[in-house]
Amino acid sequence: MIELKNVSKSFGSNTILRNISLKIPPGQTTAIVGPSGTGKSVTLKHIVGLLRPDEGQVMCFGTDMASASEKELFAVRRRFGMLFQDGALFDSFSVGENVSFPLEHHAPNMSRSERRERVEEKLRLVGLPGIYERPTSALSGGQRKRVGLARAIVMEPEVILFDEPNSGLDPITSDAIDALIQEMKEALGITFIIISHDIVGTVNVADHIAMLYDGNLVAFEPTDRFVRLDNEIVRKFLRRNLVLPEGPDEVARLPGLK
Amino acid sequence: MTNFFAGLGRYGLWCIQFLRAVLTHGPPKGQTLHEAFRIGIKSLPILLIISAFVGTNLALQGYNAFKPLGGQRLVGMFVALAGVRELAPIIAAAMIAAKAGTEMASQIGVMRIREQVDALEVMAVNPLAFLVAPRLIGIVLMLPALTLIAIFVMMSAAYAVSVFQLGLAGHEFIQFASESIAPIDFFYGAIKAMFFGLIICTVSCYFGFHCGKGPEGVGTATNRAVVTSSVICIVLNYFVSELLYGGAL
Repeated sequence: MIELKNVSKSFGSNTILRNISLKIPPGQTTAIVGPSGTGKSVTLKHIVGLLRPDEGQVMCFGTDMASASEKELFAVRRRFGMLFQDGALFDSFSVGENVSFPLEHHAPNMSRSERRERVEEKLRLVGLPGIYERPTSALSGGQRKRVGLARAIVMEPEVILFDEPNSGLDPITSDAIDALIQEMKEALGITFIIISHDIVGTVNVADHIAMLYDGNLVAFEPTDRFVRLDNEIVRKFLRRNLVLPEGPDEVARLPGLK
Repeated sequence: MTNFFAGLGRYGLWCIQFLRAVLTHGPPKGQTLHEAFRIGIKSLPILLIISAFVGTNLALQGYNAFKPLGGQRLVGMFVALAGVRELAPIIAAAMIAAKAGTEMASQIGVMRIREQVDALEVMAVNPLAFLVAPRLIGIVLMLPALTLIAIFVMMSAAYAVSVFQLGLAGHEFIQFASESIAPIDFFYGAIKAMFFGLIICTVSCYFGFHCGKGPEGVGTATNRAVVTSSVICIVLNYFVSELLYGGAL
């Protein structure tokens, strides 16, 4: 369904992705983890066609996103929902207007009351019932993410992408978002792709974990195998975030990892 | 110089993309009237103040220039020629560039850095058609109207100063003013204003779309938008005047 084949991407002299190949298992949750600036968000933007690779192919539902026309891109994107880091909500719209935005553009046959009903249902699903009329500016960081998630699922997509769902949140809200993702996963049973550097939450929700380091894919395994990998970069990343048995100190041997 | 032409080329390509997006998707319903209202009504108070005081100063300077020659009765002609043909369109354009243009650049810039433009793309909504088209239609509709209002206010203020402060005869002011300009001049002013609106909107939105990271990026984009669009309008004003009035100018 979604596959990256030998994808490379540079911005000027800065190489972000180096020959990445990755096949996302359908109907499951895949997390792409790694330190900051290692190409996770760039990978996600390739999947939705916001960026085009310098080399390689990004196949989504049989369409090569690198060479697709706008019409083809839009047809594929209607099958995606995406939660952006800060929610990417439109500030001049109310919560309800934000969530119903995709419906207004892509479901012209839906009546206003049907749209409202669908939006209220999705807001209930993300744990925010009764805030349809509330201005977006009155929302907290966690609420913005929840509303962003409601907007991402309102078209009932086949794939949901999460860009750093825990970034900028306090630990309690972050745990609540992880729990919400877990609930969504069980309720919807669709493909989730999560970009994160929060390994704790990721291990709890992901079926598969891919790790990027310095633009390279260093590991892609089912979660239970990933946490046991004998790869020094993976071990280092896990040890910084999870309580693992003490091992040799690899800090000095891994420049760029702090 | 290379950077200038590279920038011009990028702007040209962006305009072609925009045109294609509008032809393919069309402007969003309901947004255009909202933008027209916002551009027109919000810019009106400042435009009224500036037009009025440009009119008063035109009258004063015209009077001082013609008085030594004994031709102070020609103030009406001077104000009408300078105001209707040149100053009203360019002042309305400068005000819109400073008010609506900066607003467009900063709003779209903030949307860019907060990933709202990316969100539109991911939701399969063309951001050029959604964000730029209603603003463009709004400004192209409103700027000619604002220019005509600016002409009226400028002439009224000049009349008031000429008659009540400088002691000139009101009927002479009106006679010389109406003899020096024709109804076609108002039409030309509106045409100029439409061109200026096109430039202000596309330049401001272009800089907003290509905004750098963070608040500094938005500030730089906004600054470039107002400076570039104002300079282009002023330069373009000469060529449009040359084209419309030619040797008669």
